[in-house]
Amino acid sequence: MSRDAFSGFHPLVNMLYFVTVIGFSMFFMHPVSLGISLFCAAVYAVYLHGKKAVRTGLKFLLPMMLLTAALNPLFNHQGVTILAFLPNGNPLTLESVVFGVAAAAMLITVITWFSCFNAVMTSDKFIYLFGRIIPALSLVLSMSLRFVPRFQAQIKAVANAQKCIGRGISEGSVLQRARHGIKILSIMVTWSLENAVETADSMKSRGYGLPGRTAFSVFRFHRRDIWAAAYILACAAIVIAGAAFEIFRFRYFPSIMFFSQGWLGPAVLFFIYFALCIFPIIVNIKEDINWKRIESKI
Amino acid sequence: MKQYLRIICAVLVLAAVITVWLFVSGDESICHGEGFAVTLEVRADTLLENMHLLDRDKHELVPADGIIFEESTVTAHENESVFDVLNREMRNAGIHFVFRQTPLFDSAYIESINNLGEFDAGPLSGWKFRVNGEFLGMGASAVSLQPGDVVEWLFTVDMGRDIGAP
Repeated sequence: MSRDAFSGFHPLVNMLYFVTVIGFSMFFMHPVSLGISLFCAAVYAVYLHGKKAVRTGLKFLLPMMLLTAALNPLFNHQGVTILAFLPNGNPLTLESVVFGVAAAAMLITVITWFSCFNAVMTSDKFIYLFGRIIPALSLVLSMSLRFVPRFQAQIKAVANAQKCIGRGISEGSVLQRARHGIKILSIMVTWSLENAVETADSMKSRGYGLPGRTAFSVFRFHRRDIWAAAYILACAAIVIAGAAFEIFRFRYFPSIMFFSQGWLGPAVLFFIYFALCIFPIIVNIKEDINWKRIESKI
Repeated sequence: MKQYLRIICAVLVLAAVITVWLFVSGDESICHGEGFAVTLEVRADTLLENMHLLDRDKHELVPADGIIFEESTVTAHENESVFDVLNREMRNAGIHFVFRQTPLFDSAYIESINNLGEFDAGPLSGWKFRVNGEFLGMGASAVSLQPGDVVEWLFTVDMGRDIGAP
């Protein structure tokens, strides 16, 4: 985690990158752009989280993708290519199957991007960026985002403590287990309410919410941040221009159709989109090579 | 191991629920006796004058003369409804056809024929039918057919006012 060089850039650059990349991933349904985005998101997630990312991907995201892809044709019957008929009499179409796969890919791509976002955009960066513009919202956001991991840690502690006195959720009959689980939940509700009051008091006494409160931050806008921001903005501008010319347009219904003319234009555009998405990984690889070189000189 | 077992169980339950739901809402075609002749036609010619209302991706779906299923004599059976005949003929003709079944009222609603569906040409668009030139104001599965009936399915872009419905 700490070795991620992209996290060392100015928060503005990080934010800019994630806003553009997540935005593009949500709006471009072209299979090639989906593939590019999913690939980069997966590589970056593995870089950031290591083995854990692979495990979540295989255990949680892949089944979710398969389920979403399988469910879509059951409810969506659009499309001209009839493959078969569902038992209720409606057609199963090729287009709805393809669209299901694409939508599922988009879903897990965005989820993966957000997992990277959470690792890179820590709450201090978030407050640094938005503390001035929207102080209340950024505070609430960072508090609630912080609440989730705290809650997880606390529930683990409570569950372990309960297990020690024979009230674990894996002991006893089904009814007893349920009772133990509810007991733990009740403890957690009490804890989170009390914790919220304590946090609020503590923050009030530290002057949060008062006008003119300053925050210490060590973020400096270096020359490399200018270059990175310019790179991201340039790529994003080209991609948006390409989208305006319908390069990223892809029709799923009523029949599948590519809209891009020729191959050079789309190829260049998809390459630029790839260059945008892969940016943090390039930064990291460059940094790793630098580090290795310096290390070998010692 | 236990965890995987639980996941597998969840998936199986989900699959069972989906299957049951699909089969329960399934239609059983009633085919008693010899059957008799009725006339069926499916047209979308109102769209020809209202192409600007239709999504540009769907323009190619409208035939040049607006006729999706040419007027022809088809077989209906006793107690069969307008919907049953349409469903069977569309399937036999290989025309894309989507409906929504409400088991509680045993009623079917026609969502789209040939990928031209409700709301595709404005908020007042969809499919209506008339039997012997008359709009009945009933659901297609509530109207049973008599020998020699003429059934027309028409696409409307104005809640039926453009095709002469009351």
